[in-house]
Parts: sequence; structure tokens; C-alpha cells
Amino acid sequence: MVGGLKRKHSDLEEEEEAKWSWGPAGLRSYQQALLRISLDKVQHSLGPRAPSLRRHVLIHNTLQQLQAALRLAPAPALPPEPLFLGEEDFSLSATIGSILRELETSMDEAEHPPNPVALPGPPGEALPQADPVFLESLSSQYLGDSGLDDFFLDIDTSTVEKEPVLAPPQPPHNLFCAPGSWEWNELDHIMEIILGS
Amino acid sequence: MSATTGALGSGRSLQAGRASLASILQGPPRVPGAGRAPEGRCDAMPTPGVVLEQWTRILRGSGGQEFERQRWPGPGPHTHPPVSLPTADIISTVEFNHTGELLATGDKGGRVVIFQREPESKNAPHSQGEYDVYSTFQSHEPEFDYLKSLEIEEKINKIKWLPQQNAAHALLATNDKTIKLWKITERDKRPEGYNLKDEEGRLKDLSTVTSLQVPVLKPMELMVEVSPRRVFANGHTYHINSISVNSDCETYMSADDLRINLWHLAITDRSFNIVDIKPANMEDLAEVITASEFHPHHCNLFVYSSSKGSLRLCDMRAAALCDQHAKLFEEPEDPSNRSFFSEIISSVSDVKFSHSGRYMLTRDYLTVKVWDLNMEARPIETYQVHDYLRGKLCSLYESDCIFDKFECAWNGSDSVIMTGAYNNFFRMFDRNTKRDVTLEASRQSSKPRAVLKPRRVCAGGKRRRDDISVDSLDFSKKILHTAWHPAENIIAIAATNNLYIFQDKVNSEMQSRPGYTSLACWSQVGRGLEKHPEGGESGGVHGKTFTA
Repeated sequence: MVGGLKRKHSDLEEEEEAKWSWGPAGLRSYQQALLRISLDKVQHSLGPRAPSLRRHVLIHNTLQQLQAALRLAPAPALPPEPLFLGEEDFSLSATIGSILRELETSMDEAEHPPNPVALPGPPGEALPQADPVFLESLSSQYLGDSGLDDFFLDIDTSTVEKEPVLAPPQPPHNLFCAPGSWEWNELDHIMEIILGS
Repeated sequence: MSATTGALGSGRSLQAGRASLASILQGPPRVPGAGRAPEGRCDAMPTPGVVLEQWTRILRGSGGQEFERQRWPGPGPHTHPPVSLPTADIISTVEFNHTGELLATGDKGGRVVIFQREPESKNAPHSQGEYDVYSTFQSHEPEFDYLKSLEIEEKINKIKWLPQQNAAHALLATNDKTIKLWKITERDKRPEGYNLKDEEGRLKDLSTVTSLQVPVLKPMELMVEVSPRRVFANGHTYHINSISVNSDCETYMSADDLRINLWHLAITDRSFNIVDIKPANMEDLAEVITASEFHPHHCNLFVYSSSKGSLRLCDMRAAALCDQHAKLFEEPEDPSNRSFFSEIISSVSDVKFSHSGRYMLTRDYLTVKVWDLNMEARPIETYQVHDYLRGKLCSLYESDCIFDKFECAWNGSDSVIMTGAYNNFFRMFDRNTKRDVTLEASRQSSKPRAVLKPRRVCAGGKRRRDDISVDSLDFSKKILHTAWHPAENIIAIAATNNLYIFQDKVNSEMQSRPGYTSLACWSQVGRGLEKHPEGGESGGVHGKTFTA
């Protein structure tokens, strides 16, 4: 089972086994692979059943660690606005926060009528919107429309070869937000260019 | 709420399903899942081994592979178990009662099966102590929460037996949301000869009553009756992961991801919330409750474990709301082993008090630990369950295996501990001799009266002849649920849809190599139960089929 996985990610495994003895580029690509897996998990865990909160929280905390690590060790040729770390436009924690909030609204009840002795939760904990299908809201909050255009404007394409293909012809929203199917190859390509690695 | 879902126990009304195995083996190849979702329930499924073979055939044929791959979302079919098994048959919990005479299993299909130990007989000395099906019943049904548009699975998360008070037995079974109290009674006599009603209980026409008689009890075939006595609903917003009956025999607790409730066994419409770790703002949520248990002797003490690897011992005498723990058991993180997965692998998946009440046993992803209630700083013993997986955490994270919740168990004298692993392996650790052993639960290895052979996983280095390499471990065959007889060396191992019961008659402790032999092996197949002859005296090819 995982044998197949190992072959698929043999580069990852070796790096992991080498226990942090990689160069910055290797570390970064490892972290980005983890980030990719984690975000994929967040997206794929949306189903007809309430997801496991334990799994969600553990993935969330892993993502936060990754975020902190990526922030601490910026790549050498990092552009001024890193792709996954832009605090204003594209905050990972805000994304996860919104996911947990959605989770909350979909799982929590406003009150427990047949359970009067149970202590009521803190006031105002139930959020008004209770949309069980939060894929749309997830992707829209995750890649906020407002921030994304600005972000792509910020890319300094003068440092890389002048390829007109680099600027996506269609709005970038389509590129990223097909629910459940991330165009990772394209994202990788863009990330490679942005990070100059 | 459908309270009376339980079918009456089938008890001893057994039918020998002799045709089933043979016809499957010789019949034309079937396409078990074609045209329906692989997770759907199937009414009649051949034994898993047979199905596996057929699936291989299908996959090699044209189109079959396409079908397979379309069905599974995510990274690919290799991360999921083979589609041969109806999910409903997968055993999700195992629990001995307080005497060890009964053993209950719950499954993903909401069913509970109770096994009873056969009394020892002089005529068939080898069949002594065998466990046979006593009763099966449907405890939980799938439900739908229309307010939140969410399905509520019928899967039995936990079963706990109540201490026996009279001739009847009782157990608590819970799914994600609702706990049910079931009463199991036997009946082998029935009254006959009432004056005013007939055999079916209908009132007789009084004009036909010409003489009076004394009703008598007539012996009849033993019938096991199971009835739902209480339904404890609406107490939990999140998924219930543990229930535990208090030593006062009057109360029990139920824990979900964020809260623990205390119930009285006789009162279903109210519960006391004793722990609540839900943050005011769910964005701040960083920790969940993973397991919880009452102290075996002190009815005021209980422990709960968290996803951050800590244990909190609470004293209900201190306050009604035990948000403040009495003791916090936590091991400082080893900086040399730090990685992005440190927190995930330190998340406690199970916690069990020792029978003596002095120690606690916890399981995390790679280790089992023994904690002394008198020492909070670190565990007194740490045992590696499968340390060779430490280099594979990234793959295990991607395939979600890293979130598997392995349970752990003490033996009757608290000297040996047991926990599950992958590849149908389970591990035992002797606390006195520091010996450890890896055993395999499989039908091949549980031949009649053959001693289980220790297995070894080879993680690099020199490989011996029978060693298994880490890369060839089957991660879809995981032993999550195990139970140890409260007094004897009898263990119950749930491996997907199979229940294995092994016994070590020679060694009371694990002084020398343990000599576990198969007592019984049961498979849940298509909502029926098949007994495999290897473990029993019966021999022969055919299994018995029990119809619920």
C-alpha cells in the first residue's frame, strides 16, 4: 500500500529520513509538498458526514507549523510578497479559521433542549450562517477574489524570461478554484517561477 | 428516534450454511461491487479471500479498473482498503464483560454481536472455552440530521458492559451521537395453560371457559432476548469517542471531541457536563479530547486524553465542572525527534487504567506508554510499537493512516500490555521481563492448536528468512481494536471483518515465548457470521452461518 506511495514520493521519503539535513531548497520543497497535501486534505474532507474534528485540528495545527516554518526560513530569491504567506491578502490562518468556523456552524447546535442541565456554551458561539456545503465558501475565502488580482499584479516578471504564457489569460480564479481538483502542476510552475528556485 | 430497533436475539437458532463456501469457490466469478457503490451493503458476500481474487480478475479485465478508480476520490486506490469488503461488516469495537464469559463486538453497520464462552465439557476437551455466538442485534440505524444536512453513521464506536446485577446482562453501545442501554436476558421456559387467554395472549371468549386449571411453566428452546432499555440522546454536539461506566454502578460518562457528560444510568433526559474545552471562538481550537475513562475504584476520579498528547486526571469532588484538572500528565517533547508530524503522532488514541488503578496505559501513533498516577512529568515505561514507520510519516500522513486510532489493553494482572499495528500484526510487551513480541492474526496462522509464531518486521539491515520488510506491510490490514479477558490469558483481536480469539494456556505471564493458540475465528460476511474451523474442534471445510 504505502510501498506504492513511497515510490511516488521517494524524494520526499529520502529527505525525511535524512532528518533535516537538507539545503534550503530541499527543505522548502518538502514543506511545500506537505502544504499541498494538507490543503488537499482540507478540501477533500468535505462530505455528507460531519468530518472528524480530531483529524481536522491535527491538520490545522500542522498547517500552522508549516506556515511558521515557511515564514521563518524564507527562500533566498524570495519576492517581496511570498505566495502562501501574504498576511493581508492570503492568510493561511484565516483560511483555516474559516474552515473551522464552517465546521462549527455545521456541527454545533444553537441549544440543547433536552439537556437542560448541561452548561450552555459561551454566548454568541453559534454563527448565523449554517451552510453545510462550504466548499464554495471555502474556495472563495481561501483564494479571496480581491487579493488574488493584486497579488498577480505584484509579481515581478522582469526577473524571469519574458514568456507571455506566464500571465494567465483567464482570471486566475478558474485556475485554482475548480473544487476538488487542484491544478497543482500549474501551481507548481507558478511557484517555481515566483520563488526563483 | 427509533428506540426499538433491536431484533430479538437469534440465540441458538442456527442454520448450517454448508452450501455457501463451496458454491462460491466453484461458482462462476462474480462481480461483487459492479453497478453499486463499494461501500454499500451487500446481502451476500463471499469470504474476503475469495473476493480479493475475483477483484484481481476484474481489475485485469477491460473497464474494471476504470470503474474502481472512479469510485474513490483522493490520491488513488492504493490508499484505501481493497473494495472487496462491505464496510458494514468491519468490526469497530470489542469488549469482554466483567467475568469474561461474554464478549461483545460492534461493527460499522450498527450491529452488536455477543459471543458466549462454552462451558468446558469432558467429552470434547479441545473445545473447552470456545466462544460461540450468543446473540446478534441491530443497535443503531443510520440517521440524518435534517437541520445540519449531515448523515449520522450507525457505526458502533464503543461498547461497555454494566456490572451484572441479576440474571440479566446489560451493555451500553454508542455511535457518534446516541448511547443505548441494552438488556440481554435468557428464557428457556414459557408459561402455558392460562385460563383467560390463549397461547398468543389473546383474551378467550369467557363463554368457552368451562373449567379452571393451574398455569404451568414448560421448558422450551433457549431464547436470548435483547431489548433496548434506555436511549440517551441529544447529549452531544460532536462525535462520541468514549463511554465509561463508573465504579459506583449508577453513573457513566460519555466523551466527545470537546465535552464530557455525566449521566445517570436510569435517567435519559438530562446529563451533567463535567468537562468543556470548547473555546469561545472556534478559530482558537487547537486541541480535542480523544479518549476518557473512569478510575476502576475511585468513583470521583476520571482521566481524559488529548490530541496534544497529554492526560488530565480530574477529581469530581473538587468542583462540578472539572475544567481544572487535578493532575496533568505530559512528557516533554524530544527535540531530536521533532518534525512537522510531532503533534500528530503524539496524539493519544486510547487511555486505559490498569486493573489495580495505579497506572494508566496510553497509545499514540508509534508507542504505548505506562504512566504512574503518582508521577506526572513523564511515563514510567515507553514501548515502541512500530518505530520503523518513523521514516514514513509523510506517506502515512498523505494516506491518512497517521490518523488511525489504535487502542491498547492490559492483561488481568497488569503485567503485560497489548496493542495493534498494521499488516494484521499485534504487539505484546511484558513489563517485568521487558520482552516484546509481534504476533499475526490471520486465518493461516490460526490453525487448530498451532502456536502463533512470532513475526518480525525488518527495517533495513540484515534480513532473516521469515522477516517482513517495511515496504511490504499491508496498511489496509490494521488491528485497531483488541481486548483482554479480565482474568485469563484470552485475547480478542478485531481485524477488519474478522474476530480472532486466542488463548495461551501455558504461560500465565510472558516468561518464555508466549504460546497463543486459536480459540475461535469468526468472520462477518454480508451481515452473517461464519465460523472458521481452524480454531474449533469441528474441523471440515464448512463454516456455520448464523442468521440474525
